[in-house]
Amino acid sequence: MFRPLPMKQVLIQLLADDLPRAALTLAELGVFSPCSKEGFNEHFPNIPGAHYRELYHQACSRLQKIESHITLRPALSISPTRVISEQELNTTNEWLGEVWERCSSFEEHFRRLTDEEHMLNQLEQTLDNFASLNIDLSLLHGERLFLDLHVGMLPSVNVPKLREAIGLADYLLFSYLENSNNTHVIIMGSKGAREQELRSVLDTAGFHALEIPPELDDKPDRIRTDLQQRRNAVALERAERQQAMQACGEELRAQLEQSRDLLILAESFVAMEDAARNVGHLAIISGWVPERELKRVESALHTTLDSPFQITASTPSRAEHREVPTYLPVNWLTSAFSSLVKQYGVPRYGEINPTLIFALSFIAMFGMMFGDVGHGAVIVLAAWLGRKRLKSFTPFVICAGLSATLFGLLYGSLFGYEHLFHAVWIAPLSDPLYMLSMALFWGIGFMVVISLLYIHNRLVSGEISHALFDTNGVVSITLYLSVLSGAYNFYQSGSFGWLPAALSIFTLLTLLAFKLIEIHAPPGERMLVATIETFETLTGYVSNTLSFLRVAAFSLNHVALAIAVFTLAEMMEGTGHVLMVIGGNLFILILEGAIVTIQALRLEYYEGFSRFFSGDGEEFKPLKLSLQGAK
Amino acid sequence: MISMSSQSYLKARASVMSGQLIDEDAFESLLHAPLPQLEGQFGLEGISDRGLSPAELNRTIERGLINQLMNELSILLRPLNGAARESLIYWSRKFELYNLKALIRGKLNNLPYDLIRESLHILPSRISLPHEALLRTENVPELLRQLERTPYEAIARQARQVYEEKNESFSLDATIDLRYHAGLLKHAQSCDREDQVPLLKLIGSLIDRQNLPWLLRYRLNYQLSPTETYYLMIPSGRHIHAELLKQLVNMQGMPQILEALPAPLDSRLAGSGTIMAVELAMTEDLNHQARRCLQFSPSAVTRSLAYMMLREMDLRRVFAIIQGRVLTLDEQLIRQAADLDREVTGV
Repeated sequence: MFRPLPMKQVLIQLLADDLPRAALTLAELGVFSPCSKEGFNEHFPNIPGAHYRELYHQACSRLQKIESHITLRPALSISPTRVISEQELNTTNEWLGEVWERCSSFEEHFRRLTDEEHMLNQLEQTLDNFASLNIDLSLLHGERLFLDLHVGMLPSVNVPKLREAIGLADYLLFSYLENSNNTHVIIMGSKGAREQELRSVLDTAGFHALEIPPELDDKPDRIRTDLQQRRNAVALERAERQQAMQACGEELRAQLEQSRDLLILAESFVAMEDAARNVGHLAIISGWVPERELKRVESALHTTLDSPFQITASTPSRAEHREVPTYLPVNWLTSAFSSLVKQYGVPRYGEINPTLIFALSFIAMFGMMFGDVGHGAVIVLAAWLGRKRLKSFTPFVICAGLSATLFGLLYGSLFGYEHLFHAVWIAPLSDPLYMLSMALFWGIGFMVVISLLYIHNRLVSGEISHALFDTNGVVSITLYLSVLSGAYNFYQSGSFGWLPAALSIFTLLTLLAFKLIEIHAPPGERMLVATIETFETLTGYVSNTLSFLRVAAFSLNHVALAIAVFTLAEMMEGTGHVLMVIGGNLFILILEGAIVTIQALRLEYYEGFSRFFSGDGEEFKPLKLSLQGAK
Repeated sequence: MISMSSQSYLKARASVMSGQLIDEDAFESLLHAPLPQLEGQFGLEGISDRGLSPAELNRTIERGLINQLMNELSILLRPLNGAARESLIYWSRKFELYNLKALIRGKLNNLPYDLIRESLHILPSRISLPHEALLRTENVPELLRQLERTPYEAIARQARQVYEEKNESFSLDATIDLRYHAGLLKHAQSCDREDQVPLLKLIGSLIDRQNLPWLLRYRLNYQLSPTETYYLMIPSGRHIHAELLKQLVNMQGMPQILEALPAPLDSRLAGSGTIMAVELAMTEDLNHQARRCLQFSPSAVTRSLAYMMLREMDLRRVFAIIQGRVLTLDEQLIRQAADLDREVTGV
């Protein structure tokens, strides 16, 4: 519960032909994490399945692209499972290639239709523009004897450059309309040898010629009707294409889903990567398995593999702990808390699993800061009603709500009313100083537990000197407690006390000496950094402890907000009063609820995790029959 | 607007970092330094012992050196903001444009996935394209459709037009370069006045280095018309301005073009018999201009850009040396690839 599961490094020796079957079996079990072991690279230099992997990735990529056009139903469990041969994978890949080509041609066609629509818009604007010109437009169309004339449009950024360039060929460029990054231009020059030269540069500049309909000068309405007809034709074509695309999807969906299932089955072998190696017909698979699952793995392989194989398991040495993945088992209750812990990081193998400590302290602090029977009950009810949306976070919210309810009983508060029943413990506003001192004690307890966790983690990883002398180590916690004890003595009797004073000085000097040894820098810099870091250790403890005063502050704040709501409600009568109480309570629930959640998380992450938890461990990710590759 | 303190900090930073630039003597000693020392010096420890294929080796060395360049760029970017920062970031996009060209060229020639992937640089996410998705495209139109969904949309649209009209890669390359340099100029023009003038001068030298060899190639090798050649040139060069370009594109031979160049290019390029020699001489000129900017420019962002340009040139030569040494190539070949026999011009 407090530690990641013990892991074993396993080596499976088998025949190369059995590799895909073994990979599939391991993926079905879902308890094996493949990991290459360097020591074997020399004896087993080959990584099998390079072509298989390439086919798989290409097929996955094609399926993924196809899925953006054809929606597939979610994958259900695949039964019975079977090994996918390279030939079968190749056939599937080729078929997916053909399907993608169809989808791609649809995509390209849609793009062309969009371009055409854009062009029609441009043309319409051109007509508007020409219609207002006081020139004989019939001069702009048709072939001329001496004049080479082009009307069209091009990206606006290319216009100045093109004007200069065609000037070299004695052509002129006039722009008459500019819109949405395109400029409409008329280009003219004398007919002759440089016509071809012009066409080439026009292509490079992205010039599109525009038709000048002969009827333009006398029948603009007819042209507009033509344009509208073309626009309708484009819309019709788009609709037809979309329909065809839909029909294509209906026709292919079942086969595509089969292909997806096939890729899921093929993925187990692909995901082995360099954890599976071979030399000739002999092969190995290396990776990690939780100790408790070892027998199940062995027996499953015995059942599925026809040829002989050997499985050996070894316990990782302390020096190897950094390479061991951390397996943090979760259940429906702890899943959300575990996700929040992973937001910070994954503990190293052997370190304390902070999930349970996090869960308990978070729930407690939320309740302390948000204690109200009514609000807690609303949170529980809301979490239950919204369980489909909250998914794994439902238990998390319910626990927070229950904690708020429990502390509501202790504080005697129901929807902010403080007089409806007697507080089992204390109404926060009746003695704020007492509440603050309780929060301080909670903070001290929290800091001590966190330091003990740090000491444990350092001892587990063999860093004894850090466990004893580093910030958060034995010496630091002794310094912290002796300073606290001295401060308490001083508060009680006016004197610090010789024992706390002696302990404080001794531990402070020890800490300084350790820092001086640890820091590698020139003497002056070393002294300066060590002094600052030692001082920072002490101030860090003090400030982090004081940070917990917010636990009491928010419990007081909760009551104060309720008083504010009731004061406003008192100023109204009848429905107004009721609405104010309901609205005020909703305001408290939503706004303060969110703030309290953030504050509790902040205390956990900053005051807690940052002190004992490096968070740079590697999570155990077992091979599974999933859609990881296909997604 | 960069504050005075940031200007001073950045100048000091660029000045400190300029100590990392490699002079010709140091290049000579790199050529003869023990390989492990050389690898260690550029963060490439042990690459020669890993048994990598020549292609993997190239990729690893190149990635290591570009990483180094990008890390240094990140340091220089820290005190910058606004247009000055964007200009420096935009300069670094050139590496992604190399990738873009490799992708388009690869797809045009139907090259296999692995071969195209091997030629791509790994870059920071702020300038990087979604390589995997682009690599998995199956033809140029699909690649261009994908690209149109990235910040390189404008380039992709232009590239599509060129592809559909001409279906050839050199026009695409030229178009991409044109858009890149135009973008760089635009970014420089949006900087503060005190940065704008020196930045435009430095970028002008960069454009001259780009324009002249390509003008010669388009006119003499690809036989493009003067009109099209001029269209593919980037305006706003430092010495080779628009009017001169118009004259140059109308000339027929290399000696005639070189003679028409203004000082100091005419003397620097005198005697260059090949386009490669012209390119090397122009690189040397850019190197000279960038060193001057790094030392004397009143603009901190210009000094930073000059440093990045010089550092890039240095690291390219280092790349050639390490690559040659690891592949145990002939020393003369390495000297040629790393341009170790160049004549050095004083600043």
